[in-house]
Amino acid sequence: MNATILRLSAQALAGRRRGIVLMLIPGIVVLLAIVVSALTDDGQGYEAVANLGFTLALPIVALLAAAAVLGPEVDDGSIVYLLAKPVSRHSIAISKYAAAWGATIGLGALPLLVSGLVLEPSDPGRAFGWFAAGAVAGTAYSALFLALAALTRHAVVVGLLFALLWEGVLGNVLAGIRWVAIGAWGREVGAEISPLVGGAGTGLGYALIAAMVVTVGSVYFAGDRLRSFTLRGDE
Amino acid sequence: MTDPTSATPEGRSVIHDLGYRPYTGARLGEGSIARALAVTGFRNAFGLGRSGRSKVLPFVLLALNLFPAVIVGGVMVLIGLDELPISYAQYASTTQVILGIFVASQAPVLFSRDLRHGTISLYLARPLRASTYALARWAALLAATLVFLLLPIVLLYAVALLGELDVTEQTREAGVAVALAVLLALVLTGIAGLISSWSTRRGFAVVATIAVLLIGNGIVTAVQGISSEEGRSDVGEVAGLFSPYSLYRGLATAWADVDALTPPTSAGMEALYALVLVGLSAACLGGLVWRYRRVASA
Repeated sequence: MNATILRLSAQALAGRRRGIVLMLIPGIVVLLAIVVSALTDDGQGYEAVANLGFTLALPIVALLAAAAVLGPEVDDGSIVYLLAKPVSRHSIAISKYAAAWGATIGLGALPLLVSGLVLEPSDPGRAFGWFAAGAVAGTAYSALFLALAALTRHAVVVGLLFALLWEGVLGNVLAGIRWVAIGAWGREVGAEISPLVGGAGTGLGYALIAAMVVTVGSVYFAGDRLRSFTLRGDE
Repeated sequence: MTDPTSATPEGRSVIHDLGYRPYTGARLGEGSIARALAVTGFRNAFGLGRSGRSKVLPFVLLALNLFPAVIVGGVMVLIGLDELPISYAQYASTTQVILGIFVASQAPVLFSRDLRHGTISLYLARPLRASTYALARWAALLAATLVFLLLPIVLLYAVALLGELDVTEQTREAGVAVALAVLLALVLTGIAGLISSWSTRRGFAVVATIAVLLIGNGIVTAVQGISSEEGRSDVGEVAGLFSPYSLYRGLATAWADVDALTPPTSAGMEALYALVLVGLSAACLGGLVWRYRRVASA
């Protein structure tokens, strides 16, 4: 972990238009929760809002954050100046991961808690269940997407295909995908706190271990990719 | 042979006529440049004429998009159904994630790169106005999106005809689906093009486009779901106006055999749906032209 790289990555995240869009997505989710709770009875529409925040907003925020801490530097080639410093590539990867993780938890998982509390103040357990689900999934998502960003220029598209097509569209049709879907692991953990979250049925132990393996493995892999990094031109 | 370096100091420099000639052939005008730009753009959207690695993504997405249609075709042939298991207009709604990712990922290829690398000034040094450049790029992306949308329809139509389903009925349904596909392609092209001409960072443009398309659709779907539970489907009807995919879904429900929550119920609402789709596309195209005009004058 390197404080300077962490600070620079956090600045890259918050900077300019990217920061605005990053703030906008959770803002919309919370706003929707406020509007829905104002217009309907207590708890009505909870599932719809939580699903939107968890299956769509959370992976997109994680993807945006992970791509933002690594993507632009790889794109314009300025990452060589960072890699030329006598800092372990793994500690670069871990610092960048820490920045992306913070953004994902704050802007992806926290809105789940806030909108849950807004929609159903009488049952904070449910909101905390969704928050736990979002925190576990967000931790694994941001690590996976960081590894993708270190691996390929098409990280964003591959990440979207994974989160939206594999987990979203195919996950709805093929139940077995829950074993290899980060979202399902998060739900499993959330369901442990509040059964209303709706677990996927992989078992808590499996979900936690799988999320941990993906997180640690991805961050290690990202560092490893940076170790053997080659700059390529634009296609 | 005299030493060439000796010529200059003594002031005996000579200009040799090596026989270079200016170009004397016909000079094509703006229209031809625009056409060439549109054709190249269309090819580039699928990675044709670019490196092998940039062909992978569009063709993988195209294959994913056609995959369900091929399966449907196979099922039709093997089991011999008397109607298509998925209607033509429903198809684009089913594959909307792939469709969105395709448009979002290929729009920066056409709109961002020239701006980011400054090559736009080379294009504009020709007798080509900025607005024509924008229109040519837009037409290229529109054509690519249409290919993406229409191929599955054509495939399903061919399977339906080969399976000897009722020709008149199938032709009518496929025709409606094609009209809907054109509307959807117009609005998707406009939104993706506008976003990637404003944000020249590729990854950022992709995520922003996806966020507008899918989160917008997600919010509208959530509102429609809640409003139909609450028995206030009129609210859902109005909410459907606020995202491209829900507009498409609404019109597809009204004009073709598609099921959706809170579809437009009156003829006036249907007209409004179509009007918003066309108006949004036109506004995006206008924004695109304006953006490139500003770049040209800057």
